[in-house]
Amino acid sequence: MSTITATADAVLPTAARPTVHARPSFLGILRGEWRKLLSLRSTWWVLGATVVLITGISLAVAASVDAMAADPVTAPTLATTNGAELVSGGFQIGMLTIAVLGALLITGEYSTGMIRSTFAAVPTRVPVVIAKAIALSVLTGVVAAVSIALSYLVTMPQLAAHQLVPALDDARTWQVFGGTVYFLVAAALFSLGVGTLLRSSAGAITVSLTVLLLLPGVLAFVSLNWVETIARYLPLPASGAFLGGSEDSLSSGGDQLTAATGLLVIAAYALVPLFAGAVVLRRRDA
Amino acid sequence: MIEAHQLTKRYGDKTAVDDISFTIAPGSVTGFLGPNGAGKSTTMRMIMGLDRPTSGTVTVNGKPYARHRAPLAEVGALLDAKAVHTGRSARSHLRTMAATHNIPVARVDEVIEMTGLATVAHKRVGGFSLGMGQRLGIASAMLGDPRTLILDEPVNGLDPEGVQWVRRLVRSLADEGRTVFLSSHLMSEMAQTADQLLVIGRGRIIAAGPVQQVIDSVSAAAVRVRSPRATELAALLEADGAAVTSSAPGALELRGIDAERVGELACAHGIALHELSPRSASLEEAYMSLTQGAVEYRSDVTATAPTVPKGENR
Repeated sequence: MSTITATADAVLPTAARPTVHARPSFLGILRGEWRKLLSLRSTWWVLGATVVLITGISLAVAASVDAMAADPVTAPTLATTNGAELVSGGFQIGMLTIAVLGALLITGEYSTGMIRSTFAAVPTRVPVVIAKAIALSVLTGVVAAVSIALSYLVTMPQLAAHQLVPALDDARTWQVFGGTVYFLVAAALFSLGVGTLLRSSAGAITVSLTVLLLLPGVLAFVSLNWVETIARYLPLPASGAFLGGSEDSLSSGGDQLTAATGLLVIAAYALVPLFAGAVVLRRRDA
Repeated sequence: MIEAHQLTKRYGDKTAVDDISFTIAPGSVTGFLGPNGAGKSTTMRMIMGLDRPTSGTVTVNGKPYARHRAPLAEVGALLDAKAVHTGRSARSHLRTMAATHNIPVARVDEVIEMTGLATVAHKRVGGFSLGMGQRLGIASAMLGDPRTLILDEPVNGLDPEGVQWVRRLVRSLADEGRTVFLSSHLMSEMAQTADQLLVIGRGRIIAAGPVQQVIDSVSAAAVRVRSPRATELAALLEADGAAVTSSAPGALELRGIDAERVGELACAHGIALHELSPRSASLEEAYMSLTQGAVEYRSDVTATAPTVPKGENR
């Protein structure tokens, strides 16, 4: 035991009482995470790209409606299509940028070393993940809603010509719009969870995009029963259960999940990695 | 007050911190000295609850760091000048830290002023020099006006003016009764900054106590003397109990005797002296002999193995 005591002439401890008012609270942690999210330029780039991409793709889909109506092969499909699906048709590309945002929210802290400052301020750690999840959900939800609103406006002239403008008093319209927002928020939380588990930006983005985007396409070529079953429970196919799932959607082929099951599956993707991440976070060295 | 009890950290089969116990008292500046890789940063991360000890405990102001209601008001730490997101401005970084503890924005601006970051506070941290990064790290450590400060290599990368500033800052913080614990791998830096020393090598405490005492314990002060009748003088001094070595003809190195006694003896026997100089042990010498064999990464041109085999210095 090496004990170091103050030398005789050292100033006696005067029990220096901090004069700065410091009182941590979850609301404070949440405000901190919100500020973190908005004070990075990369956040604004990603969000801007999300709005532009979703709106742009929707516009492109709407622009192709004329051609689809004229083509005898696609015309019947178009007739049964809900206009709301055309409006939110760009959400898959938005899913990419939002997944990147979710992963970077935590892996960016690991790669820069910021995580040590974060955990020094909140040594219990789990509130940080919860606050990140809330801040990310709010921001993603707002951006998804704005993107859909913009898409609705820019596609209106084209869709009006074919009586495909989604009716705002139709429950089906709100199911598709609401479901799209729900799915994008879930995609963000999924990558945040994966990022919390893996800690590396490259790893987290690769895993997230593989599960979200790549696997449904790849597995579509495998016609084994059990593989088809797995594929139905991947995020994008499962989202078809409440987003409509037209002929061209990736969920076609097998029997669809019910809308309620689809919602639950997506909730599981959002919450399970996040929960697992929070559990290992408590024990791991930062 | 920081108290470590049988603190151990192993990474796989490598022991970074090996069963160390110590107490860092408030009201003084305690230097944590050791070569690179000795376990200083690991110990500091364990104090901050960032790394989990393999065994043993460490408390700050009586509790493990994570159990404090307002951790930033208890302990402020500069663990790594790079513990900041490079894409954020210095002020934004401090505001995100302050938000967690509901610390008012006025305090953020106060620590920015205090650390001299006012002109760069709105610039992104990615473009900061090492010295500016250190200042930002110290600013975030001071944010909660903590009772205990832990600074890992705070003067690393600072210009002389910045080094002076850090010394004055830690002195005034200690004088206010706070606990100040700072690490360095430079003995000369510690000698000018710290009151107390905790010397670590290969994860174990090698020496602890007031700075001068640690230095004295390693090498006693020496006296250098030159005389045309050196041989005759050497015999006289040895008879008086001094340890005499000679590095050059006519020159003697003496230990266990002070300069006054040497002068008196020479005078009494009519021996002329050409030089009589007391020489206190060099800090670097003291440090080298303290940490000899405890250096993790050493350069040795003669040895084929780059590191000393484990156990040689145990």
